[in-house]
Amino acid sequence: MIELKTVTKRYGSLTAVDTVSFSVGAGECFALLGPNGAGKTTIVKMLLDFTQPTAGSLSIRGIPSTDPACRASIGYLAENHRIPPSLSGWHYLLRCAELLDMSRSDAVDQCGRIVELIGMQGREHARAGTYSKGMIQRFGLGAALLGDPKLLILDEPTSGLDPIGVRETRLLLESLKEQGMTVFLNSHLLSEVEKLCDTAAIINRGALLVKDAIRAIVRDGDTLEDVFVRLVKD
Amino acid sequence: MKYPKTFPSIARIARYTLLDEVRQKSFVIMFAVCAIGVFLVRGCYHGNYMVNGQYLDAGTVVRALSKVMFHIIGAGALVIAALLSMRIFRRDRNEGMHSCILSKPIARWQYVVGKILGVWVVSVLFMFILHGIVFLVTSFSLRDFMPEFLAASLLCSINLLFVIVAALLLSLLMPDIVAFLCVLGVGVAGFVADGIAAVSHSQMAQAMMRQSGPAPHSDLTWWKVVYYAWPKLLGVQQSAASLLGSEPFPGFGALYPLINVLLYCLVLGAVLLRRFRNEDIS
Repeated sequence: MIELKTVTKRYGSLTAVDTVSFSVGAGECFALLGPNGAGKTTIVKMLLDFTQPTAGSLSIRGIPSTDPACRASIGYLAENHRIPPSLSGWHYLLRCAELLDMSRSDAVDQCGRIVELIGMQGREHARAGTYSKGMIQRFGLGAALLGDPKLLILDEPTSGLDPIGVRETRLLLESLKEQGMTVFLNSHLLSEVEKLCDTAAIINRGALLVKDAIRAIVRDGDTLEDVFVRLVKD
Repeated sequence: MKYPKTFPSIARIARYTLLDEVRQKSFVIMFAVCAIGVFLVRGCYHGNYMVNGQYLDAGTVVRALSKVMFHIIGAGALVIAALLSMRIFRRDRNEGMHSCILSKPIARWQYVVGKILGVWVVSVLFMFILHGIVFLVTSFSLRDFMPEFLAASLLCSINLLFVIVAALLLSLLMPDIVAFLCVLGVGVAGFVADGIAAVSHSQMAQAMMRQSGPAPHSDLTWWKVVYYAWPKLLGVQQSAASLLGSEPFPGFGALYPLINVLLYCLVLGAVLLRRFRNEDIS
């Protein structure tokens, strides 16, 4: 589903991503882990063609990430998701649906279902300026689910959510995973990742340290957090 | 999931841009103030004006004033268009719409063209409505409709396109307010240069130059090259105003300014698309 081949990204003298190669299979629930500034968001941005790699190539379903067609099957939730304060959550979802070339009636149907799914019934017509961070995050997740994407790229999806929201998001992602959706998760919540994901990659200072099944990374008696701290501190 | 078709995507982005602009309180206030201002000027159409000891007839007064208003609105709309354009990319970036739109199967050029189209339609409507008010006042005063007034207004929209593309491009390279001032500077320099050229072509100025000394050996100077290559915004307005039955602009043909500004739009548009292609989206 996703393939990175010797991807490097430099900003002047700073190497944000250093010859990283890995792939994520269809239906896999994958977590990209690393400390702040490790290069996780840069990899996501390169996958979405928000920034171009200095070297190497990225592809989604065999289509180069530079081709807009590869984004036809992607749902994306940005880190620190924002919604224009003058729009309501409903109108934001409608816009996102229409940008996926849905007819107005299809868009209204889908948005209605998504509002229920993210638990925002009754608040969807309020202006986004009145929403809490968690509510904006929920609408962002809802927008990512529009159009039944094959691949979900989520950058810190639980950021700003309360513990109940974190749990609900995990349950939602588990049900999507069961439906065969590929999930690419960028997260700091290692306990949630451990419960949800099949595979993970840990990067630090732009370099890939490990990419394997979580069961293989986490040895007996250890937690993902222990392994993460050990690898990053080394 | 389908890959959105090119033109519907551009049209949607343009529609969202238009809606976002007209929802802004500052835009609504600006439009209301301009519309009331233009409407209040109608009092001047009924005054008694005397030139060389003779009263001008009402028709001449109305036509002359409507032409003045035509130019003032045309120039004012350029400022408005630059103001609207300078903040388009920044607002989308700050409100998360950059990443929202570009994470969909929409190419960057479609996004940029949609934005240009959206601001252009808003600006043209803004100018057209103000010109429309003058057209209605003139029509009621003269009891005669002048549809060429509205056609001239549409012709001026080429200037708006230039200002929008230039402001969008410069807003990627420098702070918004500096981009706005640069575009304003280009417009003002062009207006001043065209004004000086118009005066220098007058019979009185020609006579004064003949008296002051011999003519230069060559007609082609760097100043002339710069002058003719500079965006001919006033020239476009003069060409449009010539539809209103006035004399043609002296010095160059009515078509040259249109070609000049359209060429600038194409070149700046291409540079804008290229520049935005390399922009980091956050």
